Amino acid sequence: MNFTYWSVVIAVLIIATFLPRVGLIAVYKTYRTAKDREQVEDALKHLLDREQQGRHASPVSIAGTLDIPLGKATQLIENMETQELLETRGNELHLTSKGERWALHVIRAHRLWERFLADEARMPLEQVHNEAQRREHSLTELELNDLDAALGHPTRDPHGDPIPTREGTLPKVEGMPITAWQTDRPVRIVHLEDEPALAYEQILAAGLRLGQVIRILEKTQNRYLLSDGETEYKLAPAVAANVHVAALPESEMLKREAIPLVELAHDQRGEIVMLDDAVQGFTRRRFLDLGLTPGTVIYPELQNFFGDPRAYRIRGTLIALRKDQAAQIWVKSI
Amino acid sequence: MSAELQSKDILAKAEALRNSLSSGFRDEIVKSLYTEAEHIAKRAVKTAAEKRYDLDQKIDRLVTSPWTGLPIMLLLLTVIIWLTVSGANVVSGWIAVVLFGIGDYGRALFNQIGMPWWITGFIWDGVYLGLAWVVSVMLPPMMIFFPAFTFMEDLGYLPRVAFNLDWLFKKSGAHGKQSLTMAMGFGCNAAGVIATRVIDSPRERLIAILTNNFVPCNGRFPTLIMLATVFVAAAFPPALTSFIAAGTVVGVVLIGVFFTFLASWILSKTLLKGEASAFTLELPPYRRPNVSRILYTSIIDRTIFVLWRAMQTAAPAGAIIWIMANVSIGDSNLARATADWLNPFGLLLGLDGVILLAYIIAIPANEIVVPTMMMVYMGAGMMINGPTSNNEIFDLLVNGNGWTMLTAVNLMLFALLHNPCATTIMTIYKETKSYKWATLSVVMTLGTAFVVTFLTASFARLMGWA
Repeated sequence: MNFTYWSVVIAVLIIATFLPRVGLIAVYKTYRTAKDREQVEDALKHLLDREQQGRHASPVSIAGTLDIPLGKATQLIENMETQELLETRGNELHLTSKGERWALHVIRAHRLWERFLADEARMPLEQVHNEAQRREHSLTELELNDLDAALGHPTRDPHGDPIPTREGTLPKVEGMPITAWQTDRPVRIVHLEDEPALAYEQILAAGLRLGQVIRILEKTQNRYLLSDGETEYKLAPAVAANVHVAALPESEMLKREAIPLVELAHDQRGEIVMLDDAVQGFTRRRFLDLGLTPGTVIYPELQNFFGDPRAYRIRGTLIALRKDQAAQIWVKSI
Repeated sequence: MSAELQSKDILAKAEALRNSLSSGFRDEIVKSLYTEAEHIAKRAVKTAAEKRYDLDQKIDRLVTSPWTGLPIMLLLLTVIIWLTVSGANVVSGWIAVVLFGIGDYGRALFNQIGMPWWITGFIWDGVYLGLAWVVSVMLPPMMIFFPAFTFMEDLGYLPRVAFNLDWLFKKSGAHGKQSLTMAMGFGCNAAGVIATRVIDSPRERLIAILTNNFVPCNGRFPTLIMLATVFVAAAFPPALTSFIAAGTVVGVVLIGVFFTFLASWILSKTLLKGEASAFTLELPPYRRPNVSRILYTSIIDRTIFVLWRAMQTAAPAGAIIWIMANVSIGDSNLARATADWLNPFGLLLGLDGVILLAYIIAIPANEIVVPTMMMVYMGAGMMINGPTSNNEIFDLLVNGNGWTMLTAVNLMLFALLHNPCATTIMTIYKETKSYKWATLSVVMTLGTAFVVTFLTASFARLMGWA
């Protein structure tokens, strides 16, 4: 009796351990493979990042970035060398072309995920990076191409970073840190560096956002004073260096003469100038479907008694929009 | 080989060209489509001067102003629910007479040809009775509520309600159109879940689906009204009875609305995190309702659809209820024994074992909860209506089965907050295509019901009220 009992228990344990695909060993192996891939890919990203900055990665820098002991890092580098992903020259680590291609694949995955999470899943912008960090290791090249097509081949991630193309080329960011900008002419924020996270959070907390047009009012050793014409933003120089700006394109001048729809008074009529660049994906498609195209006449007709939402007459129909959405539609009063 | 090469070249060329497109080319495409459409419309359609919206604007000012908008809304909702509840009572009576009459006839026929008692009982007192009960109680309110609701929809009034209430929903991270799916939920939660299709952003739609059950449906109103009349209103002078009862039911509904907002807010902060997506709500011009369309949508699309799903689950439930009442254990039966076993847990929640049992076996439809409870309390072998007068019901429950005011209050809360009926769960699964969300809808509501009733019971006992 006792013998039968124990043999059944042992048999069940053995089956649970060795069963292919769902057994403990198989599950652990899948987990290990995924972890290994994650580690290799994080190392590749680090190498590419260093190379773009014109510096070289070392075993120490890899250990630091991945938060692993130096011994583990050395072992990882040896593994990657046998896979022909990198070469060591002295203490310097260089990506091979195979390694670079893979690294770009991961970056493409990361940035496409960010686009998806921000535009389609409507996740708050400050959470997008971490979520994408978790998801970037799971997609194959083919799946990524599908995601790319579904999103309409975007060229920028929500922070303004370029997304590598399918062929593996990375367009250059044309912006420069605001600390390097000399004149007081208005500039447009083209990129908010999301690492280190602390600085990024400070930028978001200050209220700066991508696509915003700002001017430098004052710069001292201790702070930068920026303005978008209404609000003033104060940033420490170290934080301000993470705000990348570019000269204003011609079309932006249009916007400077326009007002957001939300500011259109009740008895005013407006003509749509443009949809804000910050509106992408689902929301933009929805706006376009409703006929909110440049040149269309629009005017507020009905106000909710709490002030939000407001209904606008456009192309003969009455459409209610919330304040935060009406703030993203630029009109000029006519 | 060469064809292969060519198509590759073309794809590469397309890729290169796409990269050179300006980022605004989609806007340009839509703009040109609209320009073309405008051009065609201008040639083909003649419009009178722009003053056409005058009447609409006047009505709109009226129904969206702070002083008249909210009262109009509440008045309409009250009228529709009152019409449904009082009108349905009459029609339910007629249908019950016919269907139960058929049951009596069938039973007599079976007895005549000498069928064993358990076959007759299983078929006519179990399966058939379950079906007949659900049809007679469920069909009439839906036949009144859905046409009334569809009438408001067709008129163009409902989008104005969403417009009025949107600020509340915005605060809880949801969509203004959820007010419409909630209103639909008064008719039937399964129909309310289907109605969430009007919400086009997936996140807000899931919130509306998961919280719809906090609005009490037609099936739960009779229970609430019975308890409000027998227990709450009985404490007041007879002249005020119906007024107090109605007030109590409204109070319960408001608690449900409160939990809807609370649950929406919690969901939008935890599981369904995200920014409010595009809120675009079209306020169509007022139209004369189209009667045939109203009848078609409300009867075929809504009533028959929901009723059919309910009947699929009511028949097996009827069978199980009959079996539980007729399998004897010692000098008791299976239903009684299970209820006794559940009793300690029931008492913990301020309810009792019979109530829990009724909610477990009556999961297909809330309509049969009270008949099942009465069956067990009165030791009957099939679902029954219970005593006819309020005093007799009070006597049966309080003196016969140890109910207190706490039991009545907690049963109202439990009826309001507990898990969706089987039809609604099935509908949630079909709408979301996910076992996960269907399961969550049950866990979330049942958890809320347990916690709330446990807290009220503990509080009442601590204060020495019960």
